[in-house]
Amino acid sequence: MATQTLIKSLKYLFTTPYTRLVPRKVKPFKTEKIRGAHILDMNKCTGCSMCQQVCPAACIDMVQVEGNYPQNPRKRFPRIDHSKCTFCALCVEYCPVGALSMTTRTGYELFTIDKNTTLKSPLELCRIEGEVTVTKEDFVVGITPVKLGEVPLKRGE
Amino acid sequence: MEGRNTQIVYFGPQHPGVPGNIAFKLWLDGDRVVKAEVIPGFLHRGFEKMMENRTWEMNVTLSYRFCVEDPDHLEIAYAMAVEDIVNANIPENAKWIRMIQAEMGRIASHLFWSHFIGGSIGLRTPAYWAVTAREEILKWFGRIAGHRVYHNLSVPGGIRYKLPADFKEHTLKVLDFVEEKARDVEEALLKNSVFKARTRNLGKLTSEEALMLGVTGPVLRATGYKYDLRVNAPYLNYDKVKFEVPTGSIGDAYDRSVVRFKEIYQSISIIRQALEEVKLDEPLRIKIGLTIPPGEGVARVESARGEYVIHIISQGGRKPYRVRLRSMSMPLLTTVVDYILSKEEITIADFPVLLASLDPCPPDLDR
Repeated sequence: MATQTLIKSLKYLFTTPYTRLVPRKVKPFKTEKIRGAHILDMNKCTGCSMCQQVCPAACIDMVQVEGNYPQNPRKRFPRIDHSKCTFCALCVEYCPVGALSMTTRTGYELFTIDKNTTLKSPLELCRIEGEVTVTKEDFVVGITPVKLGEVPLKRGE
Repeated sequence: MEGRNTQIVYFGPQHPGVPGNIAFKLWLDGDRVVKAEVIPGFLHRGFEKMMENRTWEMNVTLSYRFCVEDPDHLEIAYAMAVEDIVNANIPENAKWIRMIQAEMGRIASHLFWSHFIGGSIGLRTPAYWAVTAREEILKWFGRIAGHRVYHNLSVPGGIRYKLPADFKEHTLKVLDFVEEKARDVEEALLKNSVFKARTRNLGKLTSEEALMLGVTGPVLRATGYKYDLRVNAPYLNYDKVKFEVPTGSIGDAYDRSVVRFKEIYQSISIIRQALEEVKLDEPLRIKIGLTIPPGEGVARVESARGEYVIHIISQGGRKPYRVRLRSMSMPLLTTVVDYILSKEEITIADFPVLLASLDPCPPDLDR
């Protein structure tokens, strides 16, 4: 029994460490569908506040931005507080026009020494660096069930 | 207790022998622990109340946040309870993927547990190998669900994200890696004479005692009582796969460890069977409206720590009226520890091993 354990241990003695030296040697581990900082397409956003409504951490506010946005008559765009955000991507999923997406910018890249800088205005959200990973198309659109037990009530009933 | 020759020691929440953010007030007679009192509340956030104030779709992101080690079962249970209210039949494909998610979570949780018990005994080396295997599972979750620990994959109605094209091949590769590591850890940990000496005959429970104390999960199965919700009250597609329910004999800390390692292999076998049934091009989700009709929904799942029950009452509208969670760790940290201490001679050195062998999750107790 002990020899078996020794053989197993010797196997691990000659292997390289599993841990990685981040960020000195390698970049942080990122997958193709990782949910990182949001990126906003201001030419698509209609200012409907759906992202604000579904945010479970209440980190999205709608703020006014000056400029020429014909699809957004009230000129209201989401402002996201990244220090509160849990990166659940509900805002991306429920955005009716697909204006919000998520990028690979995550982890220590979001750390700041000043808490005020985590509050990203709509114009800053447009300029987030990093590849776009999660968009509205990545979410499965539900099929309408053949028979659902009861018809859901409408709001206010 | 005070008048006798006893000493009071506060144990935790910063002590490395405590399984998380919880403290104990211990009465010591020499080095024997005579009595222990749990001091909870370090992680109390009022989840049940918070869930009443958030909408149905928001609650998914909240439902799993009170157990880091095993969040998948909590998430699946919430989704199942909401589906129970509307009597929804989700696609078969989504059920298989939920099973894969749940079993992956169980493996990750048990592997992480071997790190805790290794640490409490001083056998850290094999425990680090286990964390390597868990890391591969977390990376797998990162690819499938976008995040490593909190996945947000199962929502009321089915599965939220599209699956990658190489889902099956990648999962099989991860499973092979995990199985190899788990066998190495089992060899080095369970067959180690120090581990045996420290855990055998420690914290014994009989089946009757365990049932009386309200214990479920691996701790109950280690006593020899064959009770597993996946077999006794099957949910998802657990009645369509073949697997065994590992049981122990005398219900001590060593038996619990053996049962947990056997469960890892059974979970791997379940995932391999479920993978054959997954069809990547078939639907994964049905539409459930943003409002839920009045009614009650209950879901019971066999989580890595025992039976987890969630009961939701809806009065119609956008938010639940009442959410009740039955935690897995409540009996483990309160009644079981008290009972074992009153019956057995546990020293202060064995107390962390006893706690680790029960594998409680203190945030789940606090909620």
